Amino acid sequence: MKILPTFLLAPAALALGGICSALTPGFAPTGFLDDDEEDEAAVAEEVEEEEGPHWLLLEGGDIFTGTGAVLRGADLLSKDGIIEEIGYDFWVPEDAERIDCSGLRLYPGMVALSATSRVTQGSFAPAGEVEQPGYDPSLDVPAEDGVDIWDFDAIDAAAAMTEAESRIAEAYDPFSTYLILTLAAGITTVEQSNAAVKLRRYEIKDVVMREGFLISLSYSTADSRRRTRADFALASTYLRDFRAWEEGGKDGDEPSKKGVNSSVLKILMGDGRAKFNADDRDELLAIARLAQEFGFRPVIEGCREGWVVADELGRAGATAIVSPRDRRWKDELQVADGGSSIENAAILHAAGVQVAVEPLSGSIDLGGIAGRDLLHLNIDAGFAIRGGLSEQAGLEAVTIVPARVMGVDHRVGSLEVGKDADVLVTDGDLLHYETFVQYAVVGGKLAYEKSEELFYAHIRPLPEREVVEASQEGDVEVEDADDEGDDEDGDDDGDEDEDEDED
Amino acid sequence: MNFNRVLGSTLRTLGLPAGPMLACGAIAPLALSCVASAGVVPVGVEVNRSGASDSGSATAASADGAAAMGAAPAVAQAHPGHVPRMQSVEGAVAGAPGGPGLAIHAAKILTCTMEGPAVFDNAVLTVKDGKIEAVGAARDVTIPGGYEDLDLGDRWLMPGMIDLHCHIGGTFDINDGIFLANPGLRASTAVRPYNSMLQMAVRSGVTTVLFIPGSGTNVGGQGVLLKTGHEHYDDAEVRNPGSLKVAQWGNPERWLFGPGKTFENYTIRNIFTRGRAYAKLWSDHDGNGGPAPQVDPQLEIFRHLFAGDAQVSVHTQIYQVVVATIMIIKGEMDVDVYIDHGTFDGYLAAPLAAKMGVNAILGPRNVDAPNRGIMNWVGANPERIQGVAAGYQERGHPMIGFNTDSPVIPQEELFLQASMAVRHGFKDDLMQTVRGLTIVPAVTAGIDDRVGCLAVGRDADIVVLGGHPADPRTQIERVFIDGVNIYERDQEHQVVW
Repeated sequence: MKILPTFLLAPAALALGGICSALTPGFAPTGFLDDDEEDEAAVAEEVEEEEGPHWLLLEGGDIFTGTGAVLRGADLLSKDGIIEEIGYDFWVPEDAERIDCSGLRLYPGMVALSATSRVTQGSFAPAGEVEQPGYDPSLDVPAEDGVDIWDFDAIDAAAAMTEAESRIAEAYDPFSTYLILTLAAGITTVEQSNAAVKLRRYEIKDVVMREGFLISLSYSTADSRRRTRADFALASTYLRDFRAWEEGGKDGDEPSKKGVNSSVLKILMGDGRAKFNADDRDELLAIARLAQEFGFRPVIEGCREGWVVADELGRAGATAIVSPRDRRWKDELQVADGGSSIENAAILHAAGVQVAVEPLSGSIDLGGIAGRDLLHLNIDAGFAIRGGLSEQAGLEAVTIVPARVMGVDHRVGSLEVGKDADVLVTDGDLLHYETFVQYAVVGGKLAYEKSEELFYAHIRPLPEREVVEASQEGDVEVEDADDEGDDEDGDDDGDEDEDEDED
Repeated sequence: MNFNRVLGSTLRTLGLPAGPMLACGAIAPLALSCVASAGVVPVGVEVNRSGASDSGSATAASADGAAAMGAAPAVAQAHPGHVPRMQSVEGAVAGAPGGPGLAIHAAKILTCTMEGPAVFDNAVLTVKDGKIEAVGAARDVTIPGGYEDLDLGDRWLMPGMIDLHCHIGGTFDINDGIFLANPGLRASTAVRPYNSMLQMAVRSGVTTVLFIPGSGTNVGGQGVLLKTGHEHYDDAEVRNPGSLKVAQWGNPERWLFGPGKTFENYTIRNIFTRGRAYAKLWSDHDGNGGPAPQVDPQLEIFRHLFAGDAQVSVHTQIYQVVVATIMIIKGEMDVDVYIDHGTFDGYLAAPLAAKMGVNAILGPRNVDAPNRGIMNWVGANPERIQGVAAGYQERGHPMIGFNTDSPVIPQEELFLQASMAVRHGFKDDLMQTVRGLTIVPAVTAGIDDRVGCLAVGRDADIVVLGGHPADPRTQIERVFIDGVNIYERDQEHQVVW
């Protein structure tokens, strides 16, 4: 936890400010202090930290909760990573870490769908395809019948951690440069390989919030439609029979599960959501009909011609994952409307479809072409607004709606008491192209600070006033909260102020 | 349908038998003068329109144009062949050539002139015959009688945007690699006016493009400056040749034997040296008379370049390559040249470019990212994400514009190059973004007398939008080209891109 790549250290350590010194012990950026004494001190502090809850107060910002409400000049208090309070004049514990957000805005961290493994620098194994010797997935039996006796490895692994955690823990690099950039872009949660990953920095604990929530189905060809429809018919018959059998006091034989597609069963039981990749009008219509017939709410990625059949998709309760810059000309052989429309997101939203915006590219492009990759999710939302979507719906399309797709909207996607403290502190409207994330808080901990990182610190730095106030408060905080690091932190403050003046 | 087109057709019709006939010689200059002088009442068209009204009774209208003119020049001018038919199909709308005047009211007009504040609030712009007649604050502009009023409420106006690096003006067979230097090839022969991608350009407010050959060779050929919204080539052409396309290190390595920086620079110097000699032969001939030199189609373009009628657009990037661009083409050859792309650490050459008067048209790579441990490029910036445009600006370069290299980046995202520049530190306090999308490329390409700003006498290429053009959320609502409103967002059938 105390090791940072050296190329991060050089400029960052120089620029370490009072804000950092204000951080509570054990808090991530202490990792910048790379000498041994500090490490020992940090270890001692860590032990200390475990004794009491960790409080973080974001003071005096305009809080855009993402639910439509805006609280001007309000405070947000986090306790152990959970939002404890949002509002004015509430009690704050004395040892709370404080960040002055006056003149800044607070937003919920953005949620990006279809991110690539670039974000965390790791390559994730696709869900459900962990091959192990002697393990045949077709022999997998339902949990109610007991443990799968063939899968000794899995039993051992399950004792330690879940399968998802083990895979992602192996791949997740909490020090990844790309991770820092993603946080700088305002994204705190990504969907990657069907897993909801919270972008924690410096730690891999609890990075996976949920996985396997999307069940991909194909409905493009006549053959796939026939098979999928048959699967749904069989599964819904089974469910009906099973319910009748249960209600009848379990008389007679239990209905046979033979031939029932377990994925489709999962969809009908509400344990996962069916996801289709579909763009054409006729395919979208067919999906809407299937969904209404069997009573599930489809997630449709692409949805390019959704604007033509928006009413049907709205009635089917669909969620559309659109890329507003997707452009395709209409098939000239078709008389009906077709092709892409810049108004797609707006028309779908007006018809009651949940609209999520996904980035044009789920990867991070450092070849120099900015504005078309994961780092510009807000620009993609901007294009949806260009097509007529409201600003609020545009914000929701990159926060709460994708969180709903992943089934983690009870934890992320808006700023509400009881949800995770994943908060962006920005210098302006989140969807404006000039706006920078000044601080990104993930799980109640400061995970990114613009002025402390090498990437964007030189662009439009905050006015001097902010820095001075923060460092003054930092001094006070250090005296209160932290005895051991006092002297050195004080020295750091002096150094850092000189540096900033030079800049 | 269109003044220029109608007049052009008329001239051609006249031109066929023009040799032997004195009368026709008298008509042609008259018509030409209408084209040449902006704001002059187009006499020819007025006459033609009167012809349209009584086309049924005009005997000459049904006759072959050439024959009619041979018989009676005065009648021919009033009823030149097919013109009545064109006019009867579609009357000219307000603002269009031949139509009544148009007065547009808007909350803000970004005029984008190089000098002054370049913005009028609560403003009016009047258009007559496809040209801007007046522009200013509402209290200062007198709207003549008979003008159609178009009140756009809180909307903004700006000049049509200009992209000086575009490959979507037609088909993509514009990258012939027979020789390493092909100055005689012309992109104009591949133009498909108002093709689907140019329609997208119109809908995103891009009204003029430089359609250029690809970068597979050192000298790809001649680009052509086009308006995006016209359906016929002769209307769409703004200037041909628009530029000579030169590509330096970065792409031509793909050519047969894999040349590198030094051989490519030698090739460029070689062809320009020959071109300079050729141009001098002709200028000496023009000045002193004597036998005409032998025409060399490969080198004809250099007569334009050394006369200052066209510029060299150079695909150049990375410091030492940008320096070579400036030193060879501007320094040694003294030909007007501008930086195209200029990316990676090309901004390090900005002081030299500014000193030598070489404008920088940047994009679509708009940042220079740290390369240590991330990407293995030759860049020199391991420390931060450096905006390219900001790099030029910080080093005092005053003339910075933007391009897309469409279809590498969709033509509709020209504005986004400006947005990304601002995001990464480019200062927009003096409307540098809006100018960089309009007047800077116009001046750079030498067409600022026609496009690039909303000023008296310029073409009425106007974009109506809901806010700052660099914001992706800003909707493009209408686009006028040569005074004709060719795109209107509210119309249902134009929802689709």
